Amino acid sequence: MSLTTDTTGKTKSSINNSTGSGSRSRGSGAGRSGRLPALWKIILIIMPFAAALIALGIGRMQISPGEVLEVLRLRLAGAHASSTLIEKTVMQLRLPRILLAALVGAGLSVSGCAFQSLFANPLATPDTLGVASGASFGAALGILMGFGLVGVQLTGLAMGGAAVTLTWLAGSGRGRDGLSYIVLSGIMIGSLFSALVSLIKYVADEESQLPAITYWLMGGLDKANYHTLSLGAPVIIAGILLFSLIRWRMNLLPLTDDEAKASGVDIRLLRAVTIISATAVTASCVSMCGQVGWVGLLIPHMCRMIFGNNHLSLIPASVSLGAVFMIAVDTAARSISAAEIPVSILTAIIGAPFFIMLMRRSGGWRV
Amino acid sequence: MDNYRESVLRIENGSFAYKGGRRVLRNINIDIGAGEVLAVLGPNGAGKTTMLRCMMDMLRWDSGQSMLYGEDIHGMPAKKLWSRMAYVPQARSAASSYTAFQTVLLGRSSRIGVFASPSDRDMEIAERVMKQLGIYELADKPCYAISGGELQMVLIARAMAAEPRLLILDEPESNLDFRNQLVVLDAISALASDGVACVFNTHYPAHALQRAGKSLILTRDGRSRFGSTMSVVTEENIREAFGVNAVIGEVETAENILRNVVPVSISSASQRESSPRVDHDGSSGASGSCVDQNGSEECIASITLIFDSNEYADRINRLMHEYEHLLIGRMGMPYRKRGLHIINANVDGRREEIEELTHRMGLIPGISVKTTYAR
Repeated sequence: MSLTTDTTGKTKSSINNSTGSGSRSRGSGAGRSGRLPALWKIILIIMPFAAALIALGIGRMQISPGEVLEVLRLRLAGAHASSTLIEKTVMQLRLPRILLAALVGAGLSVSGCAFQSLFANPLATPDTLGVASGASFGAALGILMGFGLVGVQLTGLAMGGAAVTLTWLAGSGRGRDGLSYIVLSGIMIGSLFSALVSLIKYVADEESQLPAITYWLMGGLDKANYHTLSLGAPVIIAGILLFSLIRWRMNLLPLTDDEAKASGVDIRLLRAVTIISATAVTASCVSMCGQVGWVGLLIPHMCRMIFGNNHLSLIPASVSLGAVFMIAVDTAARSISAAEIPVSILTAIIGAPFFIMLMRRSGGWRV
Repeated sequence: MDNYRESVLRIENGSFAYKGGRRVLRNINIDIGAGEVLAVLGPNGAGKTTMLRCMMDMLRWDSGQSMLYGEDIHGMPAKKLWSRMAYVPQARSAASSYTAFQTVLLGRSSRIGVFASPSDRDMEIAERVMKQLGIYELADKPCYAISGGELQMVLIARAMAAEPRLLILDEPESNLDFRNQLVVLDAISALASDGVACVFNTHYPAHALQRAGKSLILTRDGRSRFGSTMSVVTEENIREAFGVNAVIGEVETAENILRNVVPVSISSASQRESSPRVDHDGSSGASGSCVDQNGSEECIASITLIFDSNEYADRINRLMHEYEHLLIGRMGMPYRKRGLHIINANVDGRREEIEELTHRMGLIPGISVKTTYAR
């Protein structure tokens, strides 16, 4: 083809030569291809492990990273550490909790990221779409009915799915101009499900169920054990893996309907897969540790600011930073004071000002 | 018809009505071949965008069908369809959160697997397309930080990254300034001269006259006219479709004679029925030769062509072949010293046909064409 006669082509050709293909977009941690540069890859892989290692040593009983590593090394080798107290603290108390924190952080932030792209709306997150409230209601219902964790997860998933479907039905169909309808209807549906949660609390048994539900609703990871993990983790891990696999294709999610159709990709299938996976991941997180707000909004935004909107780098970054953030917040929640602070209170206290600072500094963002 | 060009897109008796509404499109028939440009004209609400969406099977024709290379588009696998056909939406309705390069790369989607990411080849194609369209320096800028004209070019690049044979553009030059209109229209002409069939919606009949070999005019009551631009974009059809009395004039430049449409007044409904002529003496008769509104007058004329590219020689030859019955004789010579071709063709025939031939030659980018009519 020969489009060199194009008016802009002639004058700009000299500039073209100076910009090599390796140049990066301004203010973006990702390269032109959207792939993460090697250095960032290493940093993002190491960070969660480093955070976990540090967190394993922090608590009422301070353990040095060296001792933590020694315990882990011995356990992996099948032997026992010299101090059973240290070993018990690391392996039975802290490790499951940190694993849960990492999974929940990664899960919430990756599903927040997916929801934002799906609705092409920076404010669409598990919290604002009512998914978290729906899942909370489902989970509370499950607790009320005396279900086990699997049952609680399933009712959470069902109600989370119902909530996001209702939000979609109420708020979509107006094209991109109607994007705020999604968030508005999400708030409506969210408050509807919050009311239903209150109803459950009202009918719950005051002696046993009500405290359990109330405490659980505040969001906490303190009940973490390997059993809880083995039930909740597979869904979250599967969701993260799926999003990682289809992450380039997720770039099509924010396109308008006609553009998406014209891409030649089955966009309805892609959207369905995205919404089901993101809802399932959210519901699993909620059923394991209650409604932990802010993560699904804060972390994807942070990643969008640093790495741009290309999911090729956005998804791995969200997973990694989500895990790090949650490990840090939960470690603070259990070690700042003698009494444990519910983690959702901390995410809000840390999240809000941090978020405002980022927003003011970067001058906003888009999805 | 012309046996040199294969038919790329054909619409047969396409009709469409919105649910519970009036019939928007009635019996649309169009046929465009490789390298042809079709302009879709019509007043607001006549269904130009609806027409494009039906054409692409985003809306289903109530009756009739769109055929791409002789195959019904409806039911064609999406991947196959969208690797032959590409769509450029209006810039204001496009998503714009990615960098220009990433946006262009999205055009490769149908060729990239579900679990895969763009290969080096995909990246090379995206880069090549951006360079061809002269927007490579925008590659790393986010789409929300570039101008409307630049965004339009990025969207064209995204469509071209799919390496389509048919490009469909929804009002590509609306909301753009003069310069950017030309940039976009030049891009369309250049793509067409590379063999890509282009369809574009436009509000400007002049753009149809200057860029499109074929035109489709839609009226608000669902009627349509399709044919060569010279036969379709006429003062009479503009009055009927737009309800506007307009004058089609000619502007002579050093290289070419350009046609322009000047809207003069709003024609009243009764006038539209009886369709009286607008008096425009001297305006379209700028060349001072025989002007006959029916164009049926027999004329003798001499067409002079100057161009600088060898690839155009072939296209000119094909056009001449198509209008062989008009030719008295021709004389052509390459002027090697300057790398130019100068061709002189003498023709005898109906003025309408001679004008059409001149018009179609003039659509080739970078060519100078003028016709002198015998008194």
